Amino acid sequence: MIQFSEAAVQADHPAPRTILAPLNLTLAESRISIIGANGSGKSTLLKLINSLVLPTSGQVTVDGLDTARKGAAVRQSVAFMFTDPLSQLVMPTGREDVELSLRRRYRDRGERRTAAVEVLGRFGLAHLADQSVYDLSGGERQLLALATVLACDPKVLVADEPTTLLDLRNSERVRRLFRGLDQQVIFTTHSLDFALQAERTLVVDSGRVIFDGVPADAVAAYRDLSLHDASAEGPL
Amino acid sequence: MRGHASLLGAYVERRSILHAVPLWAKFLPVAVLSVAVLALSSLEATLAGLGLVVLAYLVGARLGLRELLQPLRKMWLLIVVLGAFQWFSAGLLPAFLVVGNIVTCVLAALLITLTTESQRILDGLVSLARPLRPLGADPERFGLTVALMLRSIPYLVGSAEDSRDAARARGLERNPRALILPVFIGAVAYAQQTGDALAARGLAEADHDGGTPGGASRSGS
Repeated sequence: MIQFSEAAVQADHPAPRTILAPLNLTLAESRISIIGANGSGKSTLLKLINSLVLPTSGQVTVDGLDTARKGAAVRQSVAFMFTDPLSQLVMPTGREDVELSLRRRYRDRGERRTAAVEVLGRFGLAHLADQSVYDLSGGERQLLALATVLACDPKVLVADEPTTLLDLRNSERVRRLFRGLDQQVIFTTHSLDFALQAERTLVVDSGRVIFDGVPADAVAAYRDLSLHDASAEGPL
Repeated sequence: MRGHASLLGAYVERRSILHAVPLWAKFLPVAVLSVAVLALSSLEATLAGLGLVVLAYLVGARLGLRELLQPLRKMWLLIVVLGAFQWFSAGLLPAFLVVGNIVTCVLAALLITLTTESQRILDGLVSLARPLRPLGADPERFGLTVALMLRSIPYLVGSAEDSRDAARARGLERNPRALILPVFIGAVAYAQQTGDALAARGLAEADHDGGTPGGASRSGS
């Protein structure tokens, strides 16, 4: 279970500003979506969960482990998927990248290689194992990025806009894969259809969670907010 | 980014002697050859060194002319400037020796990455650092750091090419700020991104906790 207790993120530079206002949340549902405008604080909220960002005040815990003090232990059970898969693929080929994820578990190179090929096979990527990650399509890269983070069997998958850079077909592939995962999945998205697939949806605006509840209601609240903001700005 | 697609010295799969032998059996001859050509600094040594490297590429590793010439295409400007300066200041033979020795050393070093998968290089580096563990060294972290440093070279080369093209498109090809600043900013962002990617997967950090991980920050983004 993920618990936010008065967790807030404040930036000091260039001027003091609130990125995320103090937040009290318990995230226990199997599928949770987070929606909101660009720069609203969605990604920061996600990064707090696996301690890529630490709260400047308050506390975030995952299964009782404080992300600020037990970050390494938290990251063993919480995987993070970036919007741009190239941000997280650090080895030249898919197989080598999955092998990198498996280094802690398999010390023997042969076993590691076999396990990596098996993981790629599970995601339908075995035929691309030895291709340069830069020669893969956007969809293949995103699936590969998913394979590399799920190779370690995390309990929770945190995904930051996993379908934003994908075309409709690949976006649907990723959504289908997400639906079949055993892990708890928490994701941000700009796709309201995707957000509706969750059991619970948070709406984030200007560093605050302004709605937390059933996805259909959350999407309606977000639509109202966006339309209201757009009309308040007036014509271009 | 173009540099990504043209991974300088990235592994090329072949069935060859050099692909099969262990890492140390490649590293040692490369080190000996490089030291020998630089120490002897004679026409015969440079020609022999170049000949050996070309043979190793074409026969030992069964690589093609493409792999042999790719690094030369990347460093042709350096070779020309250095060669011209040496010719002007010291004469034709010293110019040939300097350029020939550099080319020999670069080609020999790239032969290792061209014939060894990055995971094997990583394992080799980890083994190399293992004796230092009693002194507090973390072999896994050392290996990963060096492997990532090698991987960042093609990224930076690509980043420099992109900056040059972007500057040219705006008519700023002679403006050093337009050429250098984007590469510098890109390099810092790339380092931050790689750190985040590793931290997100729980890599490159100690098994125990007790401090802020390398990629984590106290402020949001």
